[in-house]
Amino acid sequence: MWKVCRYTLLDLLRNRSAVGYTVLLLLITTGLFMLEADNTKALITLSQVVLAITPLLTLVFTIIWFYGQYEFTVLLAVQPLRRSAITQAQYVAVTGALLLAFWLGVGLPLLAWAPGATSLTLLAAGSLLTTICCALGLWIAVCQRDRAKAVGIGLAVWVLLVLVWDALLLWLMYSFSDRPIEPLIVPLAALNPIDLARMMVMFRIDLAALLGYTGAVYQDFFGSPGGTLAALSALLAWTLLPLWRAVRGFQRKDL
Amino acid sequence: MDRIVFSGLGKRYGRQWVLRGVSTAFAAGEVVMVAGPNGSGKTTWIKCLLGLVHATEGTIAVNGRCVGRDPMYRAGIGYMPQYAEFPRELTVDQLLRMMNDIREAPAGGTDDRLIGELGVDALAHKRIGALSGGMRQKVSAVLAFRYRPEVLVLDEPTAGLDPVSATTLLAAVQRAARAGSTVLITSHIMEEVQRLGDRLAYLQDGRLRFALPPDTIIGATGEPALALALPTFLAQQAEQHVEGL
Repeated sequence: MWKVCRYTLLDLLRNRSAVGYTVLLLLITTGLFMLEADNTKALITLSQVVLAITPLLTLVFTIIWFYGQYEFTVLLAVQPLRRSAITQAQYVAVTGALLLAFWLGVGLPLLAWAPGATSLTLLAAGSLLTTICCALGLWIAVCQRDRAKAVGIGLAVWVLLVLVWDALLLWLMYSFSDRPIEPLIVPLAALNPIDLARMMVMFRIDLAALLGYTGAVYQDFFGSPGGTLAALSALLAWTLLPLWRAVRGFQRKDL
Repeated sequence: MDRIVFSGLGKRYGRQWVLRGVSTAFAAGEVVMVAGPNGSGKTTWIKCLLGLVHATEGTIAVNGRCVGRDPMYRAGIGYMPQYAEFPRELTVDQLLRMMNDIREAPAGGTDDRLIGELGVDALAHKRIGALSGGMRQKVSAVLAFRYRPEVLVLDEPTAGLDPVSATTLLAAVQRAARAGSTVLITSHIMEEVQRLGDRLAYLQDGRLRFALPPDTIIGATGEPALALALPTFLAQQAEQHVEGL
């Protein structure tokens, strides 16, 4: 696996889109800190931007990259390699390249302007979302033969996670406001990795109070050691399940 | 012993059989030209052998080992696709090293003759993204021949190559066959088929119609060349089939 991974990573590190992604993140992060005198406000805005943009660009990049590499992937599949090793190597390489872009683009300015636990949490949340969205993107690309359809599915997944899911939760809370719905909301929120990552950052900035009673419920649960463990397990599952499906899908696929 | 044995090979996509009942065997040192109309199942057949497509029925054995989940049989296979694509940001030298690492080729254990003959040595430090289609085909040819494969599969190998490079490549095919490689080549160029092929395997509607030496086909029709003989031979075969009914 590492033989394929090493050279794929080398290729990706020189990839213009990956470099462009790094520069974009660097410009956004630097721009926010330069425009906003209060670093906490800049961090809040940055977390909203990063937690929305990172999943989108990671999903789209992974899907497009997979199709761009398809002919070479076929050539790799003719070598004495297990198909599972090829998929795993490609996943590690793409995730590695995008994580490096994220750390350089967001991590370096954070280190310069707002070093501390909150910045570390934001970096951890963005990193986890990168690993999750790479796995999701790879799964979509492996299962879908048509590139345009795959990108469309990727965009639909992003819209679902960023907008539709929250709207559904709000509708549920509004519709059943006279009933004790909180025990249901917590696991439902955990089903969305972007919400989970957002909560990790919000609790660190201590903004949960702004979320009212629901925020208190979330903080009670996710603030506890058991809750933290549950959140991390959910995020790990969000990485491993799509990756497992991508590996299985590629093993069975007719190339 | 036969190098490659196909037994009742079939592949179905949904309800559509694209390959059915293919049973034949190819020996070491044999050059087999694979031909047939578009959509006849040539690519699917080749891909089944390479392990890229999973057969719906039947088996393939390479050197007595069944083609299945164990990828190690592919250590003895060299493949040149019709259109070669490689990671664009790697140099040719890095790509060759990558394949060496994957193949775990010992130092001096590779056949580098084609590198010089096709002028790939001059491209060593060039980015693959900066190469033309023909140059990429040359790199692809080098990779296919480099590890002295027992089975060499070439998909339209001369398409996109300049005439001199095409001649060099076909000479390399003959050299590989003399060294004991079984070579399968898909080609629509009947001059190539007649010149190189020990046998022509002809597919139609997903079925292997025949796998015969070009001379046998020419002899059966009385035509001077395979390009002229093949349509006549196919017509004869169709007539015999109708009479048989």
